[in-house]
Amino acid sequence: MELLGEQLIGAGRQTVWDALNDPEILARCIPGCEEITRLSENQLQVKLMVKMGPVRSRFAGTLTLQDIKAPESCSLVFEGTGAAGFAKGGSTVALTEEGAQTRLNYAAKASIGGKLGQVGGRLIESSARKMADEFFSAFQAALSGNGAGDNAADSAPGNGELQSGRPEADAPEGASVQPAAAGAGAQPAVAAAPAAAHAQSSRPEGSGWRPELYRVFWFALGVFFTLLVSRWLP
Amino acid sequence: MKAPSFDYVKPDSLDDVLALLAQHGDDARILAGGQTLLATLNMRLSEPELLIDINAVEALKGIEAKDDHLWIGALVRHSQIEDSPVVAQHAPLLMQAAPHVGHRAIRNQGTFGGSIAFADPAAEWPVCTVALDAVFHLAGSQGVRKVPAAEFFLDLYTTEMASDEMLIGCEIPFSPPDTKYAFQELARRHGDYAIVGVAATAQMRGGAFNNARLVFLGMGNTPIRALDVEQLVEGKAFSDDLVSQAKQALVGVLQPSADLYSSANTKMHLAGVLMGRVLKQLAESA
Repeated sequence: MELLGEQLIGAGRQTVWDALNDPEILARCIPGCEEITRLSENQLQVKLMVKMGPVRSRFAGTLTLQDIKAPESCSLVFEGTGAAGFAKGGSTVALTEEGAQTRLNYAAKASIGGKLGQVGGRLIESSARKMADEFFSAFQAALSGNGAGDNAADSAPGNGELQSGRPEADAPEGASVQPAAAGAGAQPAVAAAPAAAHAQSSRPEGSGWRPELYRVFWFALGVFFTLLVSRWLP
Repeated sequence: MKAPSFDYVKPDSLDDVLALLAQHGDDARILAGGQTLLATLNMRLSEPELLIDINAVEALKGIEAKDDHLWIGALVRHSQIEDSPVVAQHAPLLMQAAPHVGHRAIRNQGTFGGSIAFADPAAEWPVCTVALDAVFHLAGSQGVRKVPAAEFFLDLYTTEMASDEMLIGCEIPFSPPDTKYAFQELARRHGDYAIVGVAATAQMRGGAFNNARLVFLGMGNTPIRALDVEQLVEGKAFSDDLVSQAKQALVGVLQPSADLYSSANTKMHLAGVLMGRVLKQLAESA
Protein backbone atom coordinates (compact mmCIF):
# COMPACT_ATOMS: atom_id res chain seq x y z
CA MET A 1 0.00 0.00 0.00
CA GLU A 2 1.30 3.42 -0.89
CA LEU A 3 0.24 6.73 0.46
CA LEU A 4 1.13 10.13 -0.92
CA GLY A 5 0.32 13.41 0.68
CA GLU A 6 1.41 16.92 1.33
CA GLN A 7 0.73 19.48 3.96
CA LEU A 8 1.45 23.18 4.26
CA ILE A 9 2.63 23.96 7.75
CA GLY A 10 2.61 27.49 9.12
CA ALA A 11 6.15 27.49 10.49
CA GLY A 12 9.68 27.86 9.22
CA ARG A 13 11.55 24.89 7.79
CA GLN A 14 14.05 24.65 10.62
CA THR A 15 11.24 24.69 13.19
CA VAL A 16 9.41 21.95 11.33
CA TRP A 17 12.58 19.91 11.04
CA ASP A 18 13.34 20.26 14.73
CA ALA A 19 9.80 19.25 15.59
CA LEU A 20 10.00 16.15 13.40
CA ASN A 21 13.10 15.17 15.36
CA ASP A 22 11.63 15.96 18.73
CA PRO A 23 10.26 12.87 20.50
CA GLU A 24 8.08 15.03 22.77
CA ILE A 25 6.28 16.64 19.86
CA LEU A 26 6.04 13.37 17.94
CA ALA A 27 4.56 11.72 21.04
CA ARG A 28 1.81 14.32 21.07
CA CYS A 29 1.07 14.03 17.38
CA ILE A 30 1.27 10.34 16.54
CA PRO A 31 -2.29 9.06 16.95
CA GLY A 32 -2.56 6.79 19.97
CA CYS A 33 1.08 7.24 20.96
CA GLU A 34 1.63 6.27 24.57
CA GLU A 35 5.36 6.49 24.94
CA ILE A 36 8.40 7.47 22.94
CA THR A 37 11.93 6.83 24.10
CA ARG A 38 15.15 7.63 22.30
CA LEU A 39 17.31 4.56 21.73
CA SER A 40 20.08 6.30 19.87
CA GLU A 41 20.52 9.54 17.99
CA ASN A 42 18.46 8.39 15.04
CA GLN A 43 16.35 5.68 16.54
CA LEU A 44 13.23 5.99 18.64
CA GLN A 45 11.19 3.37 20.41
CA VAL A 46 7.47 3.96 20.08
CA LYS A 47 4.57 2.41 21.94
CA LEU A 48 1.19 3.12 20.52
CA MET A 49 -2.42 2.15 20.92
CA VAL A 50 -4.14 1.78 17.59
CA LYS A 51 -7.83 2.53 17.82
CA MET A 52 -9.47 1.92 14.52
CA GLY A 53 -12.98 0.56 14.43
CA PRO A 54 -12.95 -2.92 15.92
CA VAL A 55 -9.20 -2.82 16.51
CA ARG A 56 -7.88 -1.53 19.79
CA SER A 57 -4.47 -3.01 20.03
CA ARG A 58 -1.10 -2.00 21.39
CA PHE A 59 1.98 -1.93 19.21
CA ALA A 60 5.59 -1.50 20.11
CA GLY A 61 8.12 -0.71 17.48
CA THR A 62 11.15 1.22 16.43
CA LEU A 63 11.26 4.30 14.30
CA THR A 64 14.56 4.87 12.53
CA LEU A 65 15.62 8.00 10.68
CA GLN A 66 17.78 7.41 7.62
CA ASP A 67 19.29 9.40 4.74
CA ILE A 68 19.19 12.53 6.82
CA LYS A 69 19.71 15.77 4.92
CA ALA A 70 18.87 18.36 7.54
CA PRO A 71 16.70 20.34 7.21
CA GLU A 72 15.48 19.13 3.81
CA SER A 73 14.58 15.49 3.83
CA CYS A 74 14.88 12.19 5.58
CA SER A 75 13.32 8.80 5.48
CA LEU A 76 11.58 7.11 8.36
CA VAL A 77 11.42 3.37 8.77
CA PHE A 78 8.91 1.85 11.15
CA GLU A 79 8.77 -1.72 12.29
CA GLY A 80 6.35 -2.83 14.92
CA THR A 81 4.66 -5.85 16.37
CA GLY A 82 1.70 -6.32 18.65
CA ALA A 83 -0.76 -9.00 19.66
CA ALA A 84 -2.79 -8.23 16.58
CA GLY A 85 -0.08 -8.65 13.98
CA PHE A 86 2.83 -6.76 12.59
CA ALA A 87 3.22 -3.55 10.68
CA LYS A 88 6.16 -2.39 8.64
CA GLY A 89 6.44 0.88 6.90
CA GLY A 90 8.71 3.41 5.40
CA SER A 91 8.14 7.01 4.58
CA THR A 92 10.18 9.69 2.89
CA VAL A 93 9.61 13.21 4.07
CA ALA A 94 10.73 16.29 2.18
CA LEU A 95 10.49 19.84 3.41
CA THR A 96 10.49 22.84 1.08
CA GLU A 97 10.28 26.47 2.06
CA GLU A 98 7.34 28.52 0.85
CA GLY A 99 7.72 32.01 2.21
CA ALA A 100 7.29 31.84 5.95
CA GLN A 101 5.68 28.45 5.66
CA THR A 102 6.91 24.97 4.93
CA ARG A 103 5.50 22.45 2.55
CA LEU A 104 5.86 18.89 3.76
CA ASN A 105 5.61 16.12 1.17
CA TYR A 106 5.44 12.54 2.27
CA ALA A 107 5.36 9.24 0.48
CA ALA A 108 4.69 6.26 2.67
CA LYS A 109 4.68 2.56 2.02
CA ALA A 110 3.25 0.17 4.54
CA SER A 111 2.55 -3.49 4.85
CA ILE A 112 0.73 -5.27 7.60
CA GLY A 113 0.42 -8.92 8.42
CA GLY A 114 -0.92 -11.40 10.90
CA LYS A 115 -4.51 -11.09 12.05
CA LEU A 116 -4.36 -7.37 11.54
CA GLY A 117 -3.74 -8.02 7.87
CA GLN A 118 -6.66 -10.42 7.58
CA VAL A 119 -9.07 -8.10 9.25
CA GLY A 120 -7.67 -4.79 8.14
CA GLY A 121 -6.70 -5.60 4.56
CA ARG A 122 -10.00 -4.31 3.27
CA LEU A 123 -9.59 -0.93 4.89
CA ILE A 124 -5.86 -0.56 5.31
CA GLU A 125 -5.51 2.34 2.93
CA SER A 126 -8.29 4.42 4.41
CA SER A 127 -7.10 3.58 7.93
CA ALA A 128 -3.55 4.63 7.14
CA ARG A 129 -4.76 7.81 5.47
CA LYS A 130 -6.89 8.65 8.48
CA MET A 131 -3.95 8.15 10.84
CA ALA A 132 -1.73 10.30 8.63
CA ASP A 133 -4.39 13.02 8.57
CA GLU A 134 -4.67 12.92 12.35
CA PHE A 135 -0.91 13.09 12.72
CA PHE A 136 -0.50 16.11 10.47
CA SER A 137 -3.40 18.08 11.87
CA ALA A 138 -2.02 17.52 15.38
CA PHE A 139 1.46 18.41 14.11
CA GLN A 140 0.13 21.57 12.53
CA ALA A 141 -1.65 22.49 15.75
CA ALA A 142 1.44 21.77 17.86
CA LEU A 143 3.56 24.00 15.64
CA SER A 144 1.16 26.88 15.34
CA GLY A 145 1.49 27.07 19.11
CA ASN A 146 -2.16 27.28 20.07
CA GLY A 147 -1.73 24.39 22.48
CA ALA A 148 -4.65 22.58 20.88
CA GLY A 149 -2.50 19.68 19.76
CA ASP A 150 -4.12 17.16 22.06
CA ASN A 151 -7.62 18.22 21.17
CA ALA A 152 -6.86 18.18 17.50
CA ALA A 153 -5.61 14.64 17.76
CA ASP A 154 -8.77 13.54 19.52
CA SER A 155 -11.27 15.43 17.42
CA ALA A 156 -9.64 14.87 14.09
CA PRO A 157 -12.66 13.23 12.36
CA GLY A 158 -14.13 15.17 9.50
CA ASN A 159 -10.91 16.31 7.90
CA GLY A 160 -10.96 13.80 5.11
CA GLU A 161 -8.92 15.88 2.72
CA LEU A 162 -5.87 17.66 3.97
CA GLN A 163 -4.36 18.22 0.57
CA SER A 164 -5.40 21.80 0.20
CA GLY A 165 -7.79 24.43 1.44
CA ARG A 166 -7.57 24.11 5.17
CA PRO A 167 -3.90 24.90 5.66
CA GLU A 168 -4.26 27.96 3.45
CA ALA A 169 -7.25 29.03 5.48
CA ASP A 170 -5.05 29.05 8.55
CA ALA A 171 -2.27 30.93 6.87
CA PRO A 172 -3.40 34.56 6.51
CA GLU A 173 -3.88 35.32 10.18
CA GLY A 174 -0.56 33.88 11.25
CA ALA A 175 1.72 34.09 8.22
CA SER A 176 3.99 36.75 9.65
CA VAL A 177 3.62 35.94 13.33
CA GLN A 178 3.89 32.21 12.95
CA PRO A 179 7.61 31.53 13.33
CA ALA A 180 7.74 33.47 16.58
CA ALA A 181 4.52 31.99 17.84
CA ALA A 182 5.66 28.52 16.94
CA GLY A 183 8.92 29.00 18.76
CA ALA A 184 7.15 30.21 21.85
CA GLY A 185 4.39 27.64 21.57
CA ALA A 186 6.69 24.70 21.19
CA GLN A 187 8.24 25.28 24.61
CA PRO A 188 5.10 24.86 26.70
CA ALA A 189 4.21 21.89 24.51
CA VAL A 190 7.49 20.23 25.34
CA ALA A 191 7.03 21.01 29.00
CA ALA A 192 3.51 19.61 29.01
CA ALA A 193 4.39 16.34 27.36
CA PRO A 194 6.82 15.01 29.98
CA ALA A 195 4.29 15.87 32.66
CA ALA A 196 1.67 13.82 30.87
CA ALA A 197 4.14 11.02 30.27
CA HIS A 198 5.06 11.09 33.92
CA ALA A 199 1.44 10.90 35.01
CA GLN A 200 1.04 7.86 32.82
CA SER A 201 4.14 6.09 33.96
CA SER A 202 3.19 6.57 37.59
CA ARG A 203 0.01 4.57 37.09
CA PRO A 204 1.62 1.13 36.77
CA GLU A 205 3.43 1.74 40.08
CA GLY A 206 0.13 2.65 41.69
CA SER A 207 -1.45 -0.51 40.39
CA GLY A 208 1.20 -2.47 42.31
CA TRP A 209 -1.15 -2.02 45.24
CA ARG A 210 -3.80 -4.20 43.76
CA PRO A 211 -2.14 -7.62 44.27
CA GLU A 212 -1.36 -6.53 47.84
CA LEU A 213 -4.99 -5.68 48.47
CA TYR A 214 -6.07 -9.01 47.01
CA ARG A 215 -3.69 -10.81 49.34
CA VAL A 216 -5.01 -8.88 52.35
CA PHE A 217 -8.53 -9.67 51.23
CA TRP A 218 -7.91 -13.41 50.94
CA PHE A 219 -6.04 -13.44 54.24
CA ALA A 220 -8.96 -11.72 55.94
CA LEU A 221 -11.37 -14.15 54.30
CA GLY A 222 -9.24 -17.07 55.51
CA VAL A 223 -9.22 -15.74 59.07
CA PHE A 224 -12.96 -15.23 58.91
CA PHE A 225 -13.62 -18.78 57.74
CA THR A 226 -11.27 -20.26 60.28
CA LEU A 227 -13.12 -18.41 63.02
CA LEU A 228 -16.47 -19.40 61.53
CA VAL A 229 -15.57 -23.05 61.28
CA SER A 230 -14.03 -23.19 64.73
CA ARG A 231 -17.05 -21.45 66.27
CA TRP A 232 -19.91 -23.18 64.50
CA LEU A 233 -18.52 -26.59 63.78
CA PRO A 234 -17.11 -27.74 67.09
CA MET B 1 -8.08 -18.18 20.03
CA LYS B 2 -9.80 -17.17 23.19
CA ALA B 3 -10.78 -13.67 24.21
CA PRO B 4 -8.71 -11.79 26.79
CA SER B 5 -10.33 -11.56 30.22
CA PHE B 6 -12.94 -8.91 30.74
CA ASP B 7 -15.70 -8.05 33.18
CA TYR B 8 -19.27 -8.68 32.10
CA VAL B 9 -22.51 -7.09 33.22
CA LYS B 10 -26.04 -7.53 31.91
CA PRO B 11 -28.20 -4.68 33.15
CA ASP B 12 -31.93 -4.72 32.34
CA SER B 13 -32.61 -0.99 32.22
CA LEU B 14 -31.35 1.76 29.97
CA ASP B 15 -30.46 3.93 32.97
CA ASP B 16 -28.11 1.27 34.31
CA VAL B 17 -26.41 0.94 30.93
CA LEU B 18 -25.92 4.69 30.72
CA ALA B 19 -24.58 4.87 34.26
CA LEU B 20 -22.05 2.15 33.44
CA LEU B 21 -21.07 3.95 30.23
CA ALA B 22 -20.62 7.24 32.08
CA GLN B 23 -18.42 5.47 34.61
CA HIS B 24 -16.23 3.45 32.24
CA GLY B 25 -16.41 5.42 28.99
CA ASP B 26 -14.11 4.10 26.33
CA ASP B 27 -12.93 1.13 28.42
CA ALA B 28 -16.38 -0.42 28.18
CA ARG B 29 -17.88 -1.91 25.04
CA ILE B 30 -21.56 -2.48 24.45
CA LEU B 31 -22.41 -6.07 23.52
CA ALA B 32 -25.53 -6.31 21.37
CA GLY B 33 -25.45 -9.09 18.78
CA GLY B 34 -21.72 -9.58 19.10
CA GLN B 35 -21.21 -10.41 15.43
CA THR B 36 -18.23 -8.10 15.13
CA LEU B 37 -17.23 -7.54 18.73
CA LEU B 38 -16.86 -11.18 19.77
CA ALA B 39 -14.79 -12.02 16.70
CA THR B 40 -12.40 -9.16 17.40
CA LEU B 41 -12.20 -10.16 21.07
CA ASN B 42 -11.37 -13.75 20.14
CA MET B 43 -8.65 -12.54 17.82
CA ARG B 44 -7.43 -10.26 20.60
CA LEU B 45 -7.65 -7.26 18.37
CA SER B 46 -9.32 -5.41 21.18
CA GLU B 47 -9.13 -5.70 24.95
CA PRO B 48 -11.96 -3.85 26.67
CA GLU B 49 -12.16 -3.97 30.44
CA LEU B 50 -15.91 -4.33 30.56
CA LEU B 51 -18.62 -5.72 28.32
CA ILE B 52 -22.07 -4.28 28.87
CA ASP B 53 -24.59 -6.79 27.53
CA ILE B 54 -27.72 -4.87 26.53
CA ASN B 55 -29.77 -7.88 25.41
CA ALA B 56 -31.98 -7.69 28.50
CA VAL B 57 -33.01 -4.07 27.92
CA GLU B 58 -36.60 -4.32 26.67
CA ALA B 59 -36.80 -0.62 25.72
CA LEU B 60 -34.37 -1.22 22.85
CA LYS B 61 -36.44 -3.92 21.16
CA GLY B 62 -39.24 -3.81 18.67
CA ILE B 63 -40.33 -2.42 15.34
CA GLU B 64 -43.31 -0.08 15.45
CA ALA B 65 -45.29 2.04 13.01
CA LYS B 66 -46.08 5.35 14.70
CA ASP B 67 -48.08 8.37 13.39
CA ASP B 68 -45.68 9.58 10.74
CA HIS B 69 -42.65 7.36 11.12
CA LEU B 70 -41.38 3.84 11.56
CA TRP B 71 -39.46 3.13 14.78
CA ILE B 72 -36.73 0.50 14.81
CA GLY B 73 -35.12 -0.26 18.17
CA ALA B 74 -31.36 -0.67 18.36
CA LEU B 75 -31.64 -4.32 19.41
CA VAL B 76 -33.79 -5.38 16.46
CA ARG B 77 -32.09 -8.28 14.64
CA HIS B 78 -31.39 -8.05 10.92
CA SER B 79 -33.66 -11.04 10.31
CA GLN B 80 -36.56 -9.34 12.11
CA ILE B 81 -36.29 -6.48 9.62
CA GLU B 82 -36.10 -8.96 6.77
CA ASP B 83 -39.30 -10.70 7.93
CA SER B 84 -41.31 -7.78 9.28
CA PRO B 85 -44.56 -6.95 7.43
CA VAL B 86 -44.46 -3.47 9.00
CA VAL B 87 -41.05 -2.78 7.45
CA ALA B 88 -42.22 -4.25 4.14
CA GLN B 89 -45.10 -1.79 4.14
CA HIS B 90 -43.34 1.38 5.29
CA ALA B 91 -39.66 0.98 4.39
CA PRO B 92 -39.30 -1.67 1.67
CA LEU B 93 -35.73 -0.51 1.02
CA LEU B 94 -34.65 -2.13 4.30
CA MET B 95 -36.34 -5.37 3.31
CA GLN B 96 -34.51 -5.35 -0.01
CA ALA B 97 -31.15 -4.66 1.64
CA ALA B 98 -31.51 -7.18 4.50
CA PRO B 99 -30.58 -10.33 2.53
CA HIS B 100 -27.21 -8.73 1.75
CA VAL B 101 -26.27 -8.51 5.45
CA GLY B 102 -23.96 -11.49 6.07
CA HIS B 103 -25.77 -14.83 6.15
CA ARG B 104 -29.06 -15.75 7.79
CA ALA B 105 -27.30 -17.12 10.89
CA ILE B 106 -25.50 -13.78 11.28
CA ARG B 107 -28.74 -11.90 10.65
CA ASN B 108 -30.50 -13.87 13.40
CA GLN B 109 -28.02 -12.60 15.95
CA GLY B 110 -26.58 -9.32 14.65
CA THR B 111 -28.47 -6.11 15.40
CA PHE B 112 -29.57 -3.07 13.43
CA GLY B 113 -28.16 -0.70 16.07
CA GLY B 114 -24.86 -2.57 16.23
CA SER B 115 -24.31 -2.21 12.52
CA ILE B 116 -25.06 1.51 12.61
CA ALA B 117 -23.00 2.30 15.70
CA PHE B 118 -20.08 0.35 14.25
CA ALA B 119 -20.32 2.34 10.98
CA ASP B 120 -18.41 0.01 8.72
CA PRO B 121 -18.07 1.74 5.34
CA ALA B 122 -19.26 -1.43 3.58
CA ALA B 123 -22.33 -1.99 5.78
CA GLU B 124 -25.86 -1.86 4.37
CA TRP B 125 -27.86 -0.10 7.09
CA PRO B 126 -25.87 3.15 7.15
CA VAL B 127 -26.56 3.85 3.45
CA CYS B 128 -30.21 2.83 3.78
CA THR B 129 -30.76 5.16 6.73
CA VAL B 130 -29.12 8.03 4.87
CA ALA B 131 -31.28 7.33 1.79
CA LEU B 132 -34.43 7.23 3.96
CA ASP B 133 -33.64 10.39 5.99
CA ALA B 134 -33.66 8.41 9.21
CA VAL B 135 -33.07 10.11 12.56
CA PHE B 136 -31.03 8.33 15.22
CA HIS B 137 -31.81 8.67 18.92
CA LEU B 138 -28.68 8.79 21.06
CA ALA B 139 -29.06 8.46 24.81
CA GLY B 140 -26.44 9.84 27.16
CA SER B 141 -26.14 11.32 30.60
CA GLN B 142 -27.56 14.59 29.20
CA GLY B 143 -30.72 12.88 27.94
CA VAL B 144 -31.68 11.84 24.44
CA ARG B 145 -30.57 13.75 21.36
CA LYS B 146 -31.69 13.21 17.80
CA VAL B 147 -29.15 13.15 14.99
CA PRO B 148 -30.11 12.84 11.30
CA ALA B 149 -28.38 9.94 9.55
CA ALA B 150 -26.76 12.33 7.07
CA GLU B 151 -24.88 14.02 9.95
CA PHE B 152 -24.17 10.88 11.95
CA PHE B 153 -21.43 9.15 9.97
CA LEU B 154 -18.33 11.31 10.23
CA ASP B 155 -15.39 9.24 9.07
CA LEU B 156 -14.01 5.74 8.99
CA TYR B 157 -15.64 3.96 11.96
CA THR B 158 -16.27 7.38 13.47
CA THR B 159 -19.74 8.60 14.32
CA GLU B 160 -21.33 11.56 16.03
CA MET B 161 -21.85 9.36 19.09
CA ALA B 162 -19.74 10.19 22.16
CA SER B 163 -18.11 7.43 24.22
CA ASP B 164 -20.71 7.82 26.99
CA GLU B 165 -23.65 7.68 24.59
CA MET B 166 -25.51 4.79 23.03
CA LEU B 167 -27.82 4.38 20.08
CA ILE B 168 -31.31 3.44 21.28
CA GLY B 169 -33.10 3.34 17.96
CA CYS B 170 -33.97 5.13 14.81
CA GLU B 171 -37.04 6.75 13.34
CA ILE B 172 -37.66 6.54 9.63
CA PRO B 173 -40.19 9.04 8.27
CA PHE B 174 -42.90 7.60 6.02
CA SER B 175 -42.20 8.28 2.36
CA PRO B 176 -44.87 9.42 -0.12
CA PRO B 177 -46.92 6.42 -1.32
CA ASP B 178 -45.54 6.54 -4.87
CA THR B 179 -41.94 6.14 -3.68
CA LYS B 180 -39.94 3.35 -5.32
CA TYR B 181 -36.92 1.65 -3.82
CA ALA B 182 -33.92 -0.23 -5.17
CA PHE B 183 -30.87 -1.78 -3.54
CA GLN B 184 -27.94 -3.41 -5.31
CA GLU B 185 -24.68 -4.73 -3.96
CA LEU B 186 -21.65 -6.61 -5.20
CA ALA B 187 -19.53 -8.87 -3.03
CA ARG B 188 -16.93 -11.45 -4.02
CA ARG B 189 -19.02 -14.17 -2.38
CA HIS B 190 -22.46 -13.87 -0.86
CA GLY B 191 -22.12 -12.73 2.74
CA ASP B 192 -18.73 -11.10 2.27
CA TYR B 193 -18.23 -7.44 2.91
CA ALA B 194 -19.45 -5.56 -0.12
CA ILE B 195 -17.05 -4.11 -2.66
CA VAL B 196 -19.65 -1.58 -3.67
CA GLY B 197 -23.36 -1.13 -3.16
CA VAL B 198 -26.03 1.47 -3.69
CA ALA B 199 -29.37 2.28 -2.09
CA ALA B 200 -31.80 4.31 -4.18
CA THR B 201 -35.22 5.84 -3.75
CA ALA B 202 -37.29 8.05 -6.03
CA GLN B 203 -40.86 9.01 -6.71
CA MET B 204 -41.67 8.03 -10.27
CA ARG B 205 -44.15 10.52 -11.72
CA GLY B 206 -45.14 10.21 -15.37
CA GLY B 207 -42.14 7.94 -15.92
CA ALA B 208 -39.70 10.55 -14.62
CA PHE B 209 -37.47 10.50 -11.53
CA ASN B 210 -38.50 12.85 -8.74
CA ASN B 211 -36.57 13.46 -5.52
CA ALA B 212 -34.14 10.71 -6.42
CA ARG B 213 -31.71 9.56 -3.75
CA LEU B 214 -28.58 7.59 -4.52
CA VAL B 215 -26.33 6.59 -1.62
CA PHE B 216 -23.23 4.45 -2.13
CA LEU B 217 -21.49 2.09 0.25
CA GLY B 218 -17.90 0.90 0.11
CA MET B 219 -16.85 3.90 -1.96
CA GLY B 220 -15.42 6.05 0.81
CA ASN B 221 -15.16 6.18 4.57
CA THR B 222 -18.87 6.91 5.06
CA PRO B 223 -22.10 6.53 3.09
CA ILE B 224 -21.76 8.81 0.07
CA ARG B 225 -24.72 10.57 -1.49
CA ALA B 226 -24.36 11.22 -5.21
CA LEU B 227 -25.95 14.68 -5.20
CA ASP B 228 -24.75 15.56 -8.70
CA VAL B 229 -26.35 12.44 -10.14
CA GLU B 230 -29.56 13.07 -8.21
CA GLN B 231 -29.80 16.53 -9.77
CA LEU B 232 -28.98 15.17 -13.20
CA VAL B 233 -31.79 12.61 -13.26
CA GLU B 234 -34.37 14.89 -11.64
CA GLY B 235 -37.47 15.15 -13.85
CA LYS B 236 -36.02 12.91 -16.55
CA ALA B 237 -37.23 9.54 -17.78
CA PHE B 238 -35.00 6.50 -17.76
CA SER B 239 -32.90 5.93 -20.87
CA ASP B 240 -29.54 4.40 -21.69
CA ASP B 241 -28.34 7.86 -22.56
CA LEU B 242 -29.29 9.12 -19.09
CA VAL B 243 -27.36 6.26 -17.51
CA SER B 244 -24.18 7.09 -19.41
CA GLN B 245 -24.53 10.77 -18.45
CA ALA B 246 -25.06 9.71 -14.86
CA LYS B 247 -21.93 7.55 -14.97
CA GLN B 248 -19.91 10.54 -16.09
CA ALA B 249 -21.34 12.66 -13.29
CA LEU B 250 -20.56 9.88 -10.82
CA VAL B 251 -16.82 10.16 -11.52
CA GLY B 252 -16.83 13.58 -9.89
CA VAL B 253 -18.70 12.33 -6.83
CA LEU B 254 -16.85 9.18 -5.81
CA GLN B 255 -13.16 8.83 -5.05
CA PRO B 256 -12.85 5.21 -4.00
CA SER B 257 -9.54 3.95 -2.67
CA ALA B 258 -8.08 0.62 -3.67
CA ASP B 259 -8.08 -2.38 -1.39
CA LEU B 260 -6.25 -5.70 -1.62
CA TYR B 261 -8.64 -7.05 -4.26
CA SER B 262 -10.00 -4.20 -6.33
CA SER B 263 -8.31 -1.16 -7.75
CA ALA B 264 -9.96 2.24 -7.51
CA ASN B 265 -10.81 2.07 -11.22
CA THR B 266 -12.49 -1.29 -10.83
CA LYS B 267 -14.60 0.01 -7.97
CA MET B 268 -15.52 3.10 -9.96
CA HIS B 269 -16.62 0.96 -12.89
CA LEU B 270 -18.67 -1.35 -10.66
CA ALA B 271 -20.36 1.61 -9.00
CA GLY B 272 -21.45 2.88 -12.43
CA VAL B 273 -22.84 -0.52 -13.39
CA LEU B 274 -24.80 -0.84 -10.15
CA MET B 275 -26.13 2.70 -10.54
CA GLY B 276 -27.43 1.79 -13.99
CA ARG B 277 -29.20 -1.22 -12.48
CA VAL B 278 -30.89 0.67 -9.67
CA LEU B 279 -32.06 3.44 -12.00
CA LYS B 280 -33.54 0.82 -14.29
CA GLN B 281 -35.10 -1.00 -11.36
CA LEU B 282 -36.69 2.23 -10.10
CA ALA B 283 -38.05 3.03 -13.56
CA GLU B 284 -39.43 -0.45 -14.14
CA SER B 285 -41.10 -0.74 -10.75
CA ALA B 286 -43.19 2.35 -11.45
